[in-house]
Amino acid sequence: MRGFELVHPASLDEAIKLLDVDDPTVRPFSGGTALMLMMKTGVFQPSILVHLGGLEAEHAAVAVTPEGGLRIGALATLTSVEHSAEVVRVAPVIPRAMKRLANVRVRNVARIGGNLAHGDPHMDLPPVLSSLGGAVTVRGPGGTRSIPIEGLFSGYYETVLTRGELITDVTLPSQRGWASAYLKCTTRSADDWPTLGVAVSLKVTDGAIAESRVMVSAATEKLTRLPSAEAVLKGANAGEDAVARAADAAAAEAETIDDARGSAEYKTELLRVYVKRALGEAIRNGAVQ
Amino acid sequence: MDSTSRQIRFTLNGRPVSARVESHLDLVDLLRRFDLFGARESCGQGLCGCCTVLVDGVAVSGCLTLAQLVDGKSVTTVESLDESGELSHVQQAFIDEGAFQCGFCTPGFVMMAHELLKQNPDPNETEIRDYLAGNLCRCAAYPEIIRAVRSAADRMRPA
Ligand SMILES: Cc1cc2nc3c(=O)[nH]c(=O)nc-3n(C[C@H](O)[C@H](O)[C@H](O)COP(=O)(O)OP(=O)(O)OC[C@H]3O[C@@H](n4cnc5c(N)ncnc54)[C@H](O)[C@@H]3O)c2cc1C
Ligand code: FES
Ligand code: FES
Repeated sequence: MRGFELVHPASLDEAIKLLDVDDPTVRPFSGGTALMLMMKTGVFQPSILVHLGGLEAEHAAVAVTPEGGLRIGALATLTSVEHSAEVVRVAPVIPRAMKRLANVRVRNVARIGGNLAHGDPHMDLPPVLSSLGGAVTVRGPGGTRSIPIEGLFSGYYETVLTRGELITDVTLPSQRGWASAYLKCTTRSADDWPTLGVAVSLKVTDGAIAESRVMVSAATEKLTRLPSAEAVLKGANAGEDAVARAADAAAAEAETIDDARGSAEYKTELLRVYVKRALGEAIRNGAVQ
Repeated sequence: MDSTSRQIRFTLNGRPVSARVESHLDLVDLLRRFDLFGARESCGQGLCGCCTVLVDGVAVSGCLTLAQLVDGKSVTTVESLDESGELSHVQQAFIDEGAFQCGFCTPGFVMMAHELLKQNPDPNETEIRDYLAGNLCRCAAYPEIIRAVRSAADRMRPA
């Protein structure tokens, strides 16, 4: 690692000003767990790192919204989200997914904003949070906007965030009536990056699936929603037949990619199996009250 | 000394200290300057836990922590555990259960075991495995390590 300047803004607006420059070597630094790896390997050589950790007091709260959803400050650590009583109650699939996300020390340090901004398609929270209908609130030189998490990623390690923009919050709608599950498949070792991640959420009314979201990650270039699988589920009885047909639709639709963790064909077959399992698990988990 | 180095002050195992640190220095290397070698770098990627230390009471990987960021904070290393002259219950349990061979990973496991028992004084095997999943032992002393953590929990339970 080479020398760089570590600056400590006193407010989010000051951070945005520091970042509003035409220079990719100036970057925000939240937990630093992703950046440190990139810096140690020389993939990224910063000139200035804008440290956001000092803004924790104002931007790390977890709160239930008046509608019964969640608002999570971007600087909340993954550990604080995992153990938040509000998160456990409103969206229990999040703490379940955290158990196999990195390890205790990384979760103690990594923050949810940095997690979503990183754009690595193998990560666990993008599929989980997008299947819950989540969005990020983003503030930049031009003002504030909200971006659905399913539309946050534009490519491999790429997001739609523009110069000087920071994620300030993660918001989730109420999950009442929705049942969710997330499964990942690691093919090389238990703690390897996943070959495939599948997150599903279902709204079941009187035994029939009224609405659903089916997300795939890791096996595709970026986080991808699978509308054809959702179309099969819509109106169907929450049973084995619909689950199997949705899995076939998912496998037909997803554009899986080859890499060191397996061929595209192999991942397509994994997807078929894991969509089936995830839907089954969501139905067994039952809806959030 | 490069222009991006800074003077920092922090508390190290209960004592106030200061140091001049370069921007790119990580916490493991900073501790070596204080002759503390218990936290050691192995993977350098946050995966193995050999570099576990506490910053303001929170377990972190020293290898992923910029030294400048501990300015004003409190850092606790494995060397603090026997400062009274006696080994901690966790350390003694690791010896009694033979929970190591080469011992390279042991300080990290011991620090994490202390954190686990602080948060959960009576963990079952699944909870121990989940909590220690980010610590790797190349000698594969895992069964003994799990026994040692259970044994330490028993020793620490108020009579
Ligand atoms: C050992 C190890 C194992 C891991 N295993 C897993 C795993 O199993 N599953 C998984 O999902 N992930 C895993 N990860 C990745 C981990 O989740 C990310 O490194 C972490 O969430 C990134 O958060 P951070 O706060 O540390 O980000 P940083 O490293 O601080 O930043 C990441 C990126 O986001 C930018 N950024 C930071 N904050 C903001 C913001 N508020 N607004 C806009 N941009 C911002 C930074 O400039 C940088 O480009 C692992 C990481 C490690 C080190
Ligand atoms: S050396 Fe830090 S976690 Fe392996
Ligand atoms: S005892 Fe040798 S690495 Fe664990």
